[in-house]
Amino acid sequence: MKKIFLALLMFVFTAALFAQEQKKDSVKGRVYGSFESNSQWYLNDKKRDLKHDSIPLRSNNYLSVNYNYGKWTGGIQAESYLQEALLNYNPKYNETNLGIYFLNYKSKKIDATIGHFYEQFGSGLLLRSFEDRSLGINNAIRGGKVNFKPNDNISFTALYGKHRTGFDVGKGHIFGFDSNFNLSLLLKKTDYELTFGLSYVGRYEKSYFATPNFSELTNAYAGRLNFVKNNFYISSEYNFKSKDAVIIAATNKVSNDFIKPGSAVLVNFGYSKKGIGFDTTLRRLENMTFLSEREPQFVGTERTSLFYNDRLMNFLPSLTKQNHSTLSNIYVYQAQGGVNIDPTNGIAKSGEIGGQVDFFYDFKKGSAFGGKYGTKIAVNFSNWYNLGGKYTFEDQYGNYAPNYSTDFFATKEKYYSDYNVEISKKLSSKVNGSISYINQYYNNRYITGAANLLVKTNIIAAESTIKFAKTKSFTFGLEHMWADTDRKNWMSTSIEYNHNANWSMYLTDMYNYGYDANENLISHDVDAFKIHFYNIGGSYKKGSSRIALNYGRQRGGLVCAGGVCRFVPQSTGISLSLSTAF
Amino acid sequence: MRKIFYLLLLIGYAGICQQSIPNLSINNLENKSISLKSDFSEKDKIYVFSFWATWCAPCVQELDAISEVYEDWKKELNMELIAVSTDDSRTQKRVKPLVNGKGWNYTILLDINQEFKRAMGISNVPYLIVVKNGKIVFTENGHTPGGETELFEKLKNIK
Repeated sequence: MKKIFLALLMFVFTAALFAQEQKKDSVKGRVYGSFESNSQWYLNDKKRDLKHDSIPLRSNNYLSVNYNYGKWTGGIQAESYLQEALLNYNPKYNETNLGIYFLNYKSKKIDATIGHFYEQFGSGLLLRSFEDRSLGINNAIRGGKVNFKPNDNISFTALYGKHRTGFDVGKGHIFGFDSNFNLSLLLKKTDYELTFGLSYVGRYEKSYFATPNFSELTNAYAGRLNFVKNNFYISSEYNFKSKDAVIIAATNKVSNDFIKPGSAVLVNFGYSKKGIGFDTTLRRLENMTFLSEREPQFVGTERTSLFYNDRLMNFLPSLTKQNHSTLSNIYVYQAQGGVNIDPTNGIAKSGEIGGQVDFFYDFKKGSAFGGKYGTKIAVNFSNWYNLGGKYTFEDQYGNYAPNYSTDFFATKEKYYSDYNVEISKKLSSKVNGSISYINQYYNNRYITGAANLLVKTNIIAAESTIKFAKTKSFTFGLEHMWADTDRKNWMSTSIEYNHNANWSMYLTDMYNYGYDANENLISHDVDAFKIHFYNIGGSYKKGSSRIALNYGRQRGGLVCAGGVCRFVPQSTGISLSLSTAF
Repeated sequence: MRKIFYLLLLIGYAGICQQSIPNLSINNLENKSISLKSDFSEKDKIYVFSFWATWCAPCVQELDAISEVYEDWKKELNMELIAVSTDDSRTQKRVKPLVNGKGWNYTILLDINQEFKRAMGISNVPYLIVVKNGKIVFTENGHTPGGETELFEKLKNIK
């Protein structure tokens, strides 16, 4: 490891010097990369009864440096967690070390990488390796990958490797093969687009069972078809995962007696032309939890690697609108792709089925609804349910023996729904405004398994931007949420001032009121009541660099990006973030 | 190890400004593979790559604002805006109806697993990269309301 590191370091050094030399003649060599730093100083907060962590100052730092010369690119990403990673990041990120290194060769037809790489097959339902720093996810694969494109219409990818976990790699072996064909171009048809793709993903991990009732190599296959004609489009994808031991959620162990295959079906179609867009996505997931090591590992005493989104093979995003209003992100849906049959709370689920519909419309300038500047409207509906079928908790002797059989189109308990409308309008050359209404149904019991609660919310959010002088502007935001069955009313206000393209400042506040603290709440320990979650901050940006400072209170809960969530602890403190690219 | 990290940091800063766009191919809305190097290579034309996402309010605001003046910009300058969607598979399907619903006339690219974004070292969207003759002229991160006027001034001043 050390040797590899030193070798790479030498490489980067010489590369950098080399590039400096070469710049004069503006030849092919170039160095590029980026730096990002997110630090937090956790403070005591008497009002919230919060004591800061024993390590109050924490910082996540990422530096990536790449060198490209002609067809060759080499790169590294060094990471430094000082003194430790931000709270609720995987504690495996605990030092300063090399996180990623790779060497890539790229010609017109061949793209080959050794070392760490990221990849996604189709929509990622079988394989997606990616980095998301805000979520602390980096499941890069360390190994080798080759992509071969004999022409513009055909592409093949083959890969092998192991998942990155912390500064190490996991034990599971990952094999992948992906192919994509553009049939319409191959058939020389120009009046429609037709593409199709096939993928294979294999995961091999030796099992500790003496005689496992499942194959140690799990095979997964996918087929995809995509068709576009004029303004109409449809695409569909079918994924199948061979029989494998299911994780028992209560113990985080796999069972040698609970062996099931998994599947995922995705259909998307829509119609759109200038000024109008209509889109529908339907999806069914059954037993699609897929990890490069069958069993999540305990990190510390309470949490497992799954909690930190570690060693995930696939990506199961929740297909709901990612609303940008603050309050709509308190009850966030997470896709229910896995199996959980828990006799302690009577919950039995094996996946999810549902869909979402989007509608966008642009009322033209001068029309009745459009007015002088036009009006834009966006409508989104989503509904998600448990899979219908037969679920059993126990065998005839009363022993825990989970099992299920599902019917393809049947639904059971409703998990979640979100109905929302957003209208945005330019009111004058200086003023923009938007207003949205969001209605959510959140079945906490079935989604998190935590408490016997169903939450229904109604949210109204309004925002307006007023420009004045040449570069200055104010943005005001006002939101209210009614969540009667949980913490009742929430109010959120925000003001943002942009001085010019470089400087901006903001002040936000969130307040929870009207509840009865003794009532049956989702969680009594998530946050104290009757406090203002205020935040004040500012940022300066120039070119590719940005620095931002914030002071305030962070509500405990889920922070989500792309449908994957990270649980952040409640905290009060100062945060500083810095990013630049070179 | 920590010292090495700082050392690398130094190299980074001493590092050379990024000069050209990466040699990558990503798909457009019609699933056709587009080469960043050779498909945006018209001599002296200004290419503005705008990294955005359907869920990013300031991004959509910026692209909405530019959309209103885009035809005027194109009349005055030989330029093109390429809106690079960094939406992952959660929201990627919403790109097409949103773009059409909003009536945007941009070239749209889909950077589904954020290959392009990563190659540019971008941590947050919105983010703009302005390219002329294959070379990056300037970059800009974030968007402030009204920022499009300043952007247009900058584009006009490119030599």
